[in-house]
Amino acid sequence: MVSAALRLEVAPAPVAAPVTRRTEIALRDVTVAYPAGREGMKTVLSGINLEIAAGEFVAILGETGCGKSTMLRLILGQEFPTSGAVDVDGKPVKRIDARCGYVPQKYSLFPDRTVLGNVMYGPENANSRFLGRFRPSYFRFRKALRKEAQGYLERMGLRPQDLNKYPHQLSGGMQQRVAIAQALLMKPPVLLMDEAFSALDPSTRSSLQEQLHIIWQDSRPTVVFVTHNTQEALMLGTRLILLGRHHEEHAQKSNVLLDMEVPTARLPFARRQHSPEFHELHEYVKQLAYKSSSMHRDGELTQSPNTEGSL
Amino acid sequence: MKPTFHVTDLAGIQVRPSRLWTQSLSWVLFLVGIALYVHLSVARHQENPDDRVAPTAHQLYDGIKTAALQPAEEDDPLDPDATLWQQITHSMLWKDTLASSERFLIALALLIPAILLGLHMAIFPYFGAVFQRFVLFFDKIVALSLLPILFIAFGIEEWSKIMLMVIGVAPTLILDTYNIAKSVPREQIVKAFTLKSTNLDVAYRVVLKQVLPQIINSVRLNLKPLALFLFAGEMIASTDGLAYRIAIMRRHMGMDIILPYVLWVALLLFVMDALLRIANRRLHPWYQPL
Repeated sequence: MVSAALRLEVAPAPVAAPVTRRTEIALRDVTVAYPAGREGMKTVLSGINLEIAAGEFVAILGETGCGKSTMLRLILGQEFPTSGAVDVDGKPVKRIDARCGYVPQKYSLFPDRTVLGNVMYGPENANSRFLGRFRPSYFRFRKALRKEAQGYLERMGLRPQDLNKYPHQLSGGMQQRVAIAQALLMKPPVLLMDEAFSALDPSTRSSLQEQLHIIWQDSRPTVVFVTHNTQEALMLGTRLILLGRHHEEHAQKSNVLLDMEVPTARLPFARRQHSPEFHELHEYVKQLAYKSSSMHRDGELTQSPNTEGSL
Repeated sequence: MKPTFHVTDLAGIQVRPSRLWTQSLSWVLFLVGIALYVHLSVARHQENPDDRVAPTAHQLYDGIKTAALQPAEEDDPLDPDATLWQQITHSMLWKDTLASSERFLIALALLIPAILLGLHMAIFPYFGAVFQRFVLFFDKIVALSLLPILFIAFGIEEWSKIMLMVIGVAPTLILDTYNIAKSVPREQIVKAFTLKSTNLDVAYRVVLKQVLPQIINSVRLNLKPLALFLFAGEMIASTDGLAYRIAIMRRHMGMDIILPYVLWVALLLFVMDALLRIANRRLHPWYQPL
């Protein structure tokens, strides 16, 4: 473990340099607390200060209940911070809108639409309102859109015979492929993925990881990928944010245990997880997460949880 | 090899009866019912040949013929040279069926806004805030207790009966639609907004489309309460309709007409339910009931 920390300290090998790029997502002094009956307010997130640059692939990792999905919902506009501010694309987030694409863990597709219908739903909405659908130009637009949607679906590994199937006729992996295509066809500047691959079997999961990586490399959207799987976070992310549970006795402390650029992201995707650097990093992050969760269980947070830059 | 049938299978959970068995068994209780009735009718007629409580098969046949081919007592008699079609379309059963169906279908159409209200209550929080408590309270009002008020407000003509049906069923349908629409996963709504949907797109193109099969099932379940309120209205104040005729015939102990009418009403509701079920399956091939 010590050697991993040392090696990474000596050669951090940042993949992206956020300072030189436009900030896509910014969370400033964000705190989220919920009413918890007699206990008053329960703080889920506190002291969150993050800037995510355009084109970054940020993996948010953490144990259950640490607030990673809450953070995603803040960016999405589904929830609002108790204090602090969240900006996407330079504008404050006030409601859910098309600035962010969204791929949840389940219920990601509309069950009443076919695969093609699901993927085409967004651009159809974006380009024509109800009366516009009776114009001849709409049919031309739809024809072109259909072609584009088919292209996206093919790229995601779907066969032509799958395009007219309903979601319930697809496997979980296929459904998530369609959900990613559905989000990407809108060409959102930000893609938010909430445990998107968690319910999949390992082989489907790794194939989808690879596909997502290829897509990200091609079009470079800003991706915020929430997961509780350390390996997945390190495989996909160019930047890793490790969250720990908020501890009431240390209310001033941030949930962010670790915020680092992933040095192995510079390696080719297929070779990443076989590199010794990856294994050392994996072990380190796992131990850090474990330490944080056991401290939470024991109720003693003896040291500053914010270890940013300590690697 | 397929296991052979054993009598203990009748109480088994893991058994799979063949299609033939399933079809045959589904008719057993009908046959038992008919057999019991025939037995009762024969026994009563042996004791009293003028018995009117359980008419014989022949008397029932005559009753059906009278209802289906002859005009009602209050109507003018039909020309003796009338064709079969003219006899049917001027018959008591035809007239009553049309009158009741008209009321039933108007009430059903008036329930569409109730469905939309339930949908809006589930999706638009301010809508929900305004209506939910009121509808919950309104649901507890016994609709029949409103009948005198309805007669005063709408008179004893058609609208009082139609409004009784609407008021009786609407709160249940509103709350049912509300619960069904609320069960749509939040992820779907969030996703729709990220795909540039407007509020109305989410309400009608995402949620309503998804819950429509369940709403149709809810309407199917409410067909009988609807018929119940129709019957209550018709029995109290009407000059035609299936329930009116049953009420009139009760005074004369006309079981030879009442029994066919009761079965006819059940058949009409059964057919309407079956049509809705088939339409639901055809229109929503993607629907996977739990």
